[in-house]
Amino acid sequence: MTPVLSVRDLSIDYRTRRGPVHAVRDVSFDIAKGETVAIIGESGSGKTTLAVSLIRLSPRSARITKGAILYTNARETIDIRTVAEDELRQYRWSECAMVFQAALNSFNPVINIWEQFADTARAHGMKDSAAIHARANELLDLVHLDPARVLKAYPHELSGGMKQRVLIALSLLLEPQLIILDEPTTALDILTQRAIIDLLGTLKKKLGFSMIFISHDLSIAAELADRMITMYAGTVVERASVTDLFYRPRHPYSVGLLRAVPRVSGAMGAVESIPGSPPDLIRLPPGCTYIPRCPLAIAACADREPDLVPVDTPDHDARCIRWKTVAEQVGTAEVAVAEKIATA
Amino acid sequence: MTAAALPRRSDRTLPRQIESAIEFLRLLSKRPSGLIGFIGIVFFLVLAFIAPIFVPNQVNPDVTALYETPSAQHLLGTDNSGRDVLNQIVQGGKEIISVALITAFLTTLIATVLGAISALVGGKFDAILVGIADIVLTVPPLIVLIVISALARPTNFLALALVLSSLGWAGLMRQVRAQVLTLKERDYVEAARSLDLGLTHIVFREILPNMRSYIVIHFVLAMTGAIYAQVALIILGLVPFSGKNWALMLYFANTQGAFYFKDAFWFVFSPILAIVLLQLSLVLFVNALEDIFNPRLRSS
Amino acid sequence: MAATTPADAKMVAQQYPTTPRASRARHILGYWRHPVAQAILKAFLTVFVTTSITFFLIRLMPGNPIDIKIDELTKDGLMTYAEARSQAASLFSIDLDKPVLEQYISFVGNLAHGNLGYSFVSQGTPVMGIVLAVLPWTLFSVGTGLLLSFSIGVFLGLFAAYNRNTKIDHILSLGGSIISAVPNYFIALLIVIVLGVELRWVPITQMRGATSPGIQPGFTPQFVGDVLFHAALPISVFFLATLGHWILGMKSATINALEEDYVNAARARGLSDGRIMTAYVGRNAVLPLVTQLAITAGLAIGGSILIEQYFVYQGVGLRLQAAVTQRDYPVMQGILLMVTLAVVLANLAADLLYSKLDPRIGRAGGATGT
Repeated sequence: MTPVLSVRDLSIDYRTRRGPVHAVRDVSFDIAKGETVAIIGESGSGKTTLAVSLIRLSPRSARITKGAILYTNARETIDIRTVAEDELRQYRWSECAMVFQAALNSFNPVINIWEQFADTARAHGMKDSAAIHARANELLDLVHLDPARVLKAYPHELSGGMKQRVLIALSLLLEPQLIILDEPTTALDILTQRAIIDLLGTLKKKLGFSMIFISHDLSIAAELADRMITMYAGTVVERASVTDLFYRPRHPYSVGLLRAVPRVSGAMGAVESIPGSPPDLIRLPPGCTYIPRCPLAIAACADREPDLVPVDTPDHDARCIRWKTVAEQVGTAEVAVAEKIATA
Repeated sequence: MTAAALPRRSDRTLPRQIESAIEFLRLLSKRPSGLIGFIGIVFFLVLAFIAPIFVPNQVNPDVTALYETPSAQHLLGTDNSGRDVLNQIVQGGKEIISVALITAFLTTLIATVLGAISALVGGKFDAILVGIADIVLTVPPLIVLIVISALARPTNFLALALVLSSLGWAGLMRQVRAQVLTLKERDYVEAARSLDLGLTHIVFREILPNMRSYIVIHFVLAMTGAIYAQVALIILGLVPFSGKNWALMLYFANTQGAFYFKDAFWFVFSPILAIVLLQLSLVLFVNALEDIFNPRLRSS
Repeated sequence: MAATTPADAKMVAQQYPTTPRASRARHILGYWRHPVAQAILKAFLTVFVTTSITFFLIRLMPGNPIDIKIDELTKDGLMTYAEARSQAASLFSIDLDKPVLEQYISFVGNLAHGNLGYSFVSQGTPVMGIVLAVLPWTLFSVGTGLLLSFSIGVFLGLFAAYNRNTKIDHILSLGGSIISAVPNYFIALLIVIVLGVELRWVPITQMRGATSPGIQPGFTPQFVGDVLFHAALPISVFFLATLGHWILGMKSATINALEEDYVNAARARGLSDGRIMTAYVGRNAVLPLVTQLAITAGLAIGGSILIEQYFVYQGVGLRLQAAVTQRDYPVMQGILLMVTLAVVLANLAADLLYSKLDPRIGRAGGATGT
């Protein structure tokens, strides 16, 4: 089956005065129908840059230097990088809906929620107000909101959680095949986070769309994801299924991320943050970008940046020449690592 | 470990002020209109304050050459008493610019002090002061100034400047107050152990540097406002001081009906041009200032 | 404090009355929190403070107009001091015998009844009448000029922001800066001396005055056309004088609005650029400018003193200039108060308009539920 989205060797640069910032480098991944992929990384890892490029909404200073973004639906396959402007506008939201980070400011403050629903619907050819209204009601019900109250309201009258739900409802308006969520729960309190994650899980099962979930929070992403991709310094460092990543990580960065997740149950301690900070994306070192923070770095690591290579489990790749060593180390602490999932 | 080290500058031993002045000029040169404005300001300052030293007052105006059109002898023609217009232009900027400078200084001073005090003291005092500022901002300024001048009859620079600054402080005062309020919050949270004295001290040593850009921009804007107002007052004859003054030339032109007299065109047009070019220089300069200071403010 | 006996209960109930009348009263008092009520209150206060200051300036300053008038009247021995005093007092509608505070109160009372005193120069003519005869003409020219400059300026500013750093943007921005630097009365004067006298492109003598003689007032096309003909120059001046401000202001506001998250979010939803430009960017960018409408009007009206003189347009500016020349203080005071009232009302209208346009103001805003 052709994947819904296929990203091949995507590279994106930002123009700055100091020189081009290589924000995204040689990123490749596939998303199958109905699959949820989580992209995990810290700030500056390039995940948002990657995400906005998938709907070609990058700022003017960004430039795709290489690669392709192939989207496939029942009828055709298009390359988002080259598709025409009006087809792109159709693609946005009806095929692929993106819910931004800081959803709190995703709404026009001076018009009410109904208008914003209607605007979206009308932009995609729905003309009958009654039909739009019926659909809006249906969607708001689906996210457990009171349509009568919400549609009349203005954005500032809704709480962060409510706005996030409205955005999720809105994103389902045209029944897209793919929904991209960039840090959907970051700005919310923990109870609301829980509610949103549960909601997303239910909707995913019910409606069957593919989802890209971008976050820096491993445990939240793990709940919804089938597969996970960790990004570091603009490139993919590990690609695996959720269980593989948690039980059998093969890149030191992934291990570091896992160790940084605090455990609710079990012994205290062994929560470590990764020392150091990400590299300068303008002047990248010749070898592996993770060396300064990697406990397993050796001289050979600095020769050239490692390729993304398959490891010992199927559909699992890591960008590390010492993945076997990682495997050995993790193997002995496998129980500890696995406990994280139980408590997340 | 992370970013490559920036190349070290060769040892520069210029004092910090000169370095920042050079940096400022460099930034300004990237904005041509601002640079033109700056040059214009310098030009007018030289014209108004330095040129009169070299260009003497006319002693014997040629009474036979009334309202002459521009010629080699009189580059801008003459007025109704045969006096050279260009000479009057050279002499006439000093008062206007001086009053503008004093007014801008007073306005900025009042606004900064009131704004800071109002924010620090808070409570009813603050509410009243803000209310007063709001009222001052609402009333039509020129009309009020005219009525005040008609009643109070300012007779010298300082009096005029005082009258002009009686209304101009309100806008900046509110901005200063807003800034001090945000800083006040921060200090309360972080340094509850500060003595009240310490708080005031910190605030005054921290706001002013942060507000330098606001204040400079407002100073220049206050100058443009002062020029607008004083020229109007002088043309109306409400400010009865003698002396050379561009606006006074227009007052005389008005009373002599020179506006409708074709030959008197240069006598009327020259002071207008001088004032407009001065205002234009100030406005272009201030636009460039806003542009220079803003990106930094926005990133913070 | 718990009520333990019926007497206690009554006492407690008296402290917190809950009769329908009382709760209605509290309900009405609650309205004072409403921005509309607060705006009206502020408007009142502004006019009140201005009138008070005028009163004290006129009464208490050394060399104040009343004393001057008395001197003038007694100069040639035409009147006794007492007669002159009462004459001056009546012209100002102030009773000089009463203590200052009572004078003030009756002054304010007179104002509330629309009694602004009587002209010094044309004895016995009520100031209110004088002002009302001329004020509408000025409000008409300023208002029309400002509305035109706002609509066109906002549109141009939006255009400039969308075409940032292109030639047309540079022209609009530079042009805006240049015209905003020219004092409005100079625009009028330049029209007179350059376009009128020097180049003879504009028939300034014909365009003098607010109306041509011989045309009957009324809603006839003839009269309206004539009025517009005469008002064309003042309107053009106010238009040009304020246009630059709107162009630059809207350009900067639009640039800010374009950086907002919701604009990108709207694009991500596939909305057309046109819809985004009007309903998402435009509507948000124009909001801060609406608040400046009234202030700009106040600034513009000031220039009318000279502008109307140059065009001989019989508005409030021309009348004020005459009053200043003739030292007709009651008329000056009356004009100041009425113009302030007009500007304050304009401010009020602008505030109300703003609260209608921005749903975040004037509503019980705030998050409810999760």
